[in-house]
Amino acid sequence: MKTSAFGRNLWLSWIGVIALVVVWQVIVALQVINPRIFPGPIQVLETALTRVPVDELFGHLRASLLRVASGFALGAVLGITVGIATGWYRRLGKVVWAPLELLRPIPPLAWIPLALIWFGLGEESKVFIIFLSAFFPIVTNTYKGMIQTDPVLLRAAQTLGLDGLRLLARVAVPAALPDIATGLRIGWSLSFGSLVAAEILAAREGLGFLVMRGREIGEVGLIVYAIILIGILNLVTDHLFYEFVLKRRLRWHFSS
Amino acid sequence: MQSSRAGRRRLPGSVGDALIGLATIAVLLALWEIAVQAGALNDYYFPPPSKLARSLVTLTTTGFPRGVTVFSHIGATLMRILLGYALATVIAIPLGLVIGSNDRLYQAVNPIIIFARSVATISLLPLAVAWFGVGEISRVFLIAYGCSWIILTNTIHGVRVVDPRLLRAAEVLGTSRRDMFYRVVLPASLPRIFAGMKVALGLAFLVIVAVEMIGTVEGLGALIMEARTFYRTDTTIVGMVIISLFGFLLSKFLDRAERALLPWAAGLEEVER
Repeated sequence: MKTSAFGRNLWLSWIGVIALVVVWQVIVALQVINPRIFPGPIQVLETALTRVPVDELFGHLRASLLRVASGFALGAVLGITVGIATGWYRRLGKVVWAPLELLRPIPPLAWIPLALIWFGLGEESKVFIIFLSAFFPIVTNTYKGMIQTDPVLLRAAQTLGLDGLRLLARVAVPAALPDIATGLRIGWSLSFGSLVAAEILAAREGLGFLVMRGREIGEVGLIVYAIILIGILNLVTDHLFYEFVLKRRLRWHFSS
Repeated sequence: MQSSRAGRRRLPGSVGDALIGLATIAVLLALWEIAVQAGALNDYYFPPPSKLARSLVTLTTTGFPRGVTVFSHIGATLMRILLGYALATVIAIPLGLVIGSNDRLYQAVNPIIIFARSVATISLLPLAVAWFGVGEISRVFLIAYGCSWIILTNTIHGVRVVDPRLLRAAEVLGTSRRDMFYRVVLPASLPRIFAGMKVALGLAFLVIVAVEMIGTVEGLGALIMEARTFYRTDTTIVGMVIISLFGFLLSKFLDRAERALLPWAAGLEEVER
């Protein structure tokens, strides 16, 4: 599991970050590398503020978040449903998992050409790619959590009179929750990775679009700015997910 | 749910299950073929298995684009992965060993590493192009970048979580600093380093397929994108099947290698992604 970015010695961590920015600026100031293709932090900030006003920035952030959230939500709902169903009804599982195992090793981004054939350049193909990025880790982890449930737990519950769907809802699914949560977290970070690739292909707004626009107008500062934003957004959302979902809801499993 | 063994079980994998799986896939393929022949599915969007088989034959003999067979595509992709991956390994493992064994250094660079790892590798594509042009260097750079952070974090973690009892035992026995590193810390952290390398290879594969879609006609990613440009859905799908097979063999190979090289690594589940 990921550790917190800023550990015990807070000042040391900040010194590291500040040192990096200073070294970066010094390298640029010495003009070893052409500043047009290797802009310094000050230049990046300047470009950012002139090219992308704050209100426009929120539009891009919203567009990206909306895309990743809708694809992820689709993947999560379908992944958890299929994972639980195939993990509980073993016969169904054998049938459904054969084709899934065939599709699983295909990296989500390798679906891009087929997504373009099926859905065209619009919003659907982007959501489809993000959906796939979320679906496979979630369905795999849910299924794994379901079939690895301690049989003693199930038999104990059966002895106490639970059976059928109540056994599923009260014992099997809760026992699989930590694995489902792990799947969700991996799915989220993969969704994020695919988001940018999908937006680079064709989009009118979003962070990937900003990266691409920086390339088109030959403004490397804008590219760097957008890349930093993508990193921050990913980091913040992952941290929120870890703090509020894993640590609060699944305290009994993710204790430390 | 009627396992005779208590505790955790492996994913099912007996011969009977494999037969059910194969039968399912065969039935699905047959239904697909029939649906297209009957006109229920459009054969541009869903080219039938018979057409896929024909385009697989074309791909291995004349190639797509003409002259570039599937073997050259696989070779090109494999070469790029190996170069970038080797570069990442050579840089990240020594760096990780140093950072992991120095607590202050670790505290200082950790936020930077965590941030750099959160940046989606693909988003660096335009930057790589601005720096290195649309050539092989950009592709290898992106693979090396993506893999480096995963291997680095796992190496650092591997060094930092070495059982303190091992260290103290070695200390009591009078082990020198040199031996402490080579004979205690390194072997104890190898399983995690290897686990990181496994995840990294998966990422390399993911990144390269996407990166090849731009500026080249050689490589598996280029194959599926080029086929789409020429409205050859069948070739795109065959390419994806090959990618799937390639990815599957890659992960099987790594599992084997891990078991052969590091028999004491069994049961390591936590990996930093």
